[in-house]
Amino acid sequence: MKRRNQEEMQTPIASLIDVVFLLIIFFVVTASVEKDIIDESIMLAQAKHVPPVEQKDPRTITINIEVDGSANIALQPMSPKALQNILTATREKGGNSVPILLRSDGRTIYRDVSKVMDVVGKSGLYRVSLAAEAEGK
Amino acid sequence: MAGKRKRVQEQAEVPMSSMIDVVFLLLIYFIVTQKDEVSEAHLAVNLPTPNVAQKQQEDPPRPIEITVLADKVQLQGRTMTTDRIVEMLEPRVKDSPEELTVMIKTSTKAHTSNLVEVLDLCRSIGLTQLNVVTLDD
Repeated sequence: MKRRNQEEMQTPIASLIDVVFLLIIFFVVTASVEKDIIDESIMLAQAKHVPPVEQKDPRTITINIEVDGSANIALQPMSPKALQNILTATREKGGNSVPILLRSDGRTIYRDVSKVMDVVGKSGLYRVSLAAEAEGK
Repeated sequence: MAGKRKRVQEQAEVPMSSMIDVVFLLLIYFIVTQKDEVSEAHLAVNLPTPNVAQKQQEDPPRPIEITVLADKVQLQGRTMTTDRIVEMLEPRVKDSPEELTVMIKTSTKAHTSNLVEVLDLCRSIGLTQLNVVTLDD
């Protein structure tokens, strides 16, 4: 009688572990794909018509522009001067076709965006894109 | 005899519970850190280049001119809704949208979302040569 009780308690654990391990492996595999540091505080403007980007150029330099107009690259705050230095160095190393992605908050005043655009323009890099949130998936 | 049998069963059960603790901890960690795939659209823009003389030769004689102000949008200097702009432009771009150049003059007081909206509607009707210039006001 005592033994039967113990067996009954043990049974569901093995299948539970199977499921839990399966979930863990799934999350480990899918989590390691995303390597970019994304500035979560930025709320992009909505684009209703343009399809979402499937694959972006791995050389892309992403410049985040906050609501208050401050710029950062991978959460590192950038003064216009520092930005200029980085972009010039990029052009010298990778040529002027390195894509630049401006992730500007939708509420940012255009004056602040244009300041960053001016710096990018001066550096000689010409492939500039503005990021927007694509509707749907 | 009975005592010995019980001891063997206990030893076999011991590592399970701690393993489940660890496994659940991992599972919860991955569920929490897993974030939604952000679907971003990238709107390519052309910036004014420093050597203006060369640029003027390349441009077709009459680019479409859209002015983005903080509270309104103008096509060739006339204020209208974005839907109306699409209506006006669609017949013009039907044949060769790639060759047409759009000059988007953006007020420094406009928000990024205003500009993105215009870029988005230009792309929706097939225009790809989008020049963004800053309006001094």
